[in-house]
Amino acid sequence: MSNNKYKILIVEDEANIRSFIKANLETSDYQVICAETCTLGIMMYASHHPDLIILDLGLPDRDGLDLIRQVRESDTTPIIVLSARSNERDKVEALDLGANDYITKPFGTEELLARIRAVLRSRRQGTENEGKPSGKYRLQDLLIDYDKRQVFIGKDEIDLTQTEYNILACLSVHAGKVLTYAAIIRAVWGYSDYGSVKKLQVNMKNIRKKMGVTPGEKRYIVNELGVGYRMLEDDL
Amino acid sequence: MKSRQQQKDILFSVLVFCGSFAVNLLIQKIFTTQTLVPMIFVFGVFLISLKTHGYCCGIVSAIVSVFAVNFAFTYPYYAFDFFVEESIFSAVIMLIIAISTSTLNIRIREQEMLRVREQEKLRSESEKERMRGNLLRAISHDLRTPLTSIYGSTSTLISKYDALSKTQQLKLLGEIQEDSEWLIRMVENLLSVTRIDDAKAAIVKTPTVLDELIDSVLMKFSKKHPDQKVITDIPDDFVDIPMDSILIEQVLLNLLENAVFHAKGMTELRLSVSLADNKAIFEVADNGCGIPAEALDRIFTGSFAGAAAPVDGTRSNMGIGLSVCAAIIKAHGGEITAENRMGGGAVFRFSLERECDDEQ
Repeated sequence: MSNNKYKILIVEDEANIRSFIKANLETSDYQVICAETCTLGIMMYASHHPDLIILDLGLPDRDGLDLIRQVRESDTTPIIVLSARSNERDKVEALDLGANDYITKPFGTEELLARIRAVLRSRRQGTENEGKPSGKYRLQDLLIDYDKRQVFIGKDEIDLTQTEYNILACLSVHAGKVLTYAAIIRAVWGYSDYGSVKKLQVNMKNIRKKMGVTPGEKRYIVNELGVGYRMLEDDL
Repeated sequence: MKSRQQQKDILFSVLVFCGSFAVNLLIQKIFTTQTLVPMIFVFGVFLISLKTHGYCCGIVSAIVSVFAVNFAFTYPYYAFDFFVEESIFSAVIMLIIAISTSTLNIRIREQEMLRVREQEKLRSESEKERMRGNLLRAISHDLRTPLTSIYGSTSTLISKYDALSKTQQLKLLGEIQEDSEWLIRMVENLLSVTRIDDAKAAIVKTPTVLDELIDSVLMKFSKKHPDQKVITDIPDDFVDIPMDSILIEQVLLNLLENAVFHAKGMTELRLSVSLADNKAIFEVADNGCGIPAEALDRIFTGSFAGAAAPVDGTRSNMGIGLSVCAAIIKAHGGEITAENRMGGGAVFRFSLERECDDEQ
């Protein structure tokens, strides 16, 4: 039985944090292996082939970003980064290097488990592979029909511009994952220039308006200030 | 600003030059002597070099003065004659005077500027130092309580594990969680202060979309206080404001939480943003018990926390939270105010510059 469990590698130097994450994951039916340093983490990764890596960026021996770089050279193993609150730049860099998500310290265990589930699910569904999405995407009362390029809320069709649709589609394909401004811009416009982020933000505002979302409602798309956007996933 | 200074310099140079020309003409009329002519022009060049910025005006006025002497005050009058060795010689002297005066002048100005800057730095540093002192005092006082309770509860749990009933255990654990949440809030505030200190000159402002900021704040707020509704009132248009979004988020969260903790009897909590000539004005208003008059003027200094520490054991990090707000807004070049509302309750208000850059 135990062979079926997802194997998760925790790379974190603080013993107490490691131990509470470990205890939590094990009671949630994951198999857990731990590493205290970046070097050890890379070794463990190579020999154990975990299904997911939880990585603290502030490691004693090397920068945690090194590990992301090394892993991404050969593999798409999901990586969730643990980071201090005040470093958007670190977050953006980690995401742009290929980390799948980040979670800000201090975090609750529920939050961590939800992120792990989301990342593992999107990997299982194979949504990470690029290319034109097909089929349909559902979230709460939102429905995106990729084949017809139509978006519905309940029964009503939402009239989006090409760009707005492309942004929404891009986010929904990667639902559950934070996409940095740069990543979205690259996906939607293919190039980026000085005003790109603002252009994206203005489009986003319009999308929300058309979908009838007002600030403070937790619906569809979450803002990660200074980093990017995250489309919610239906918690099944 | 630079070009206005240049215009001023040029105007001044022209005036001085015309002045010395006129004086020379006058002296020539009255005393019928020309020995004073070069002296007066040298004086003029000296004045110009002294009062203007850079080398340009001094050098030009030196050359023009040489021409003037040559043209108007040496034989042949009112005609140029460049074969007079004197005039070349006096040109060289004038130039040397102009350049050396300007050099000296520039150096003095630079030093003065350095001194002023140093003084400003000292002043802002001592201000920061004072703020940090206040915070430290308030914090060390407030940290001890939750830590004592956490330590006590965990010790009890470990040593009396079997003796305690499950409900008792859960109660202790719940209190530990509550206290740690409080500590997290406190540390987050402290982090904000270090963030201001880190960015040496000024905080790094990035254009932040108002909607997204408010959304993010409300999200975090409702996670901690799911039962407290917040009424929002923000402009409908796309508004972006340059700010350190993490810090402003912290300010708004602190203000909202402050209302939850302290506005007794509050039924309505409102967060509104309005735009007025290049400024965005943020307001957090409640209809609770208001702020006691004696606390109003000290509310942002951090000294309030210690003085009015509640006796009933409910901890407040109001003093710290609010003084962090004040520090953050100050670092953004704004000011935060608190006042009681007419109909009861309190309102906190701050504004941020919008300085819309239109290059996009």
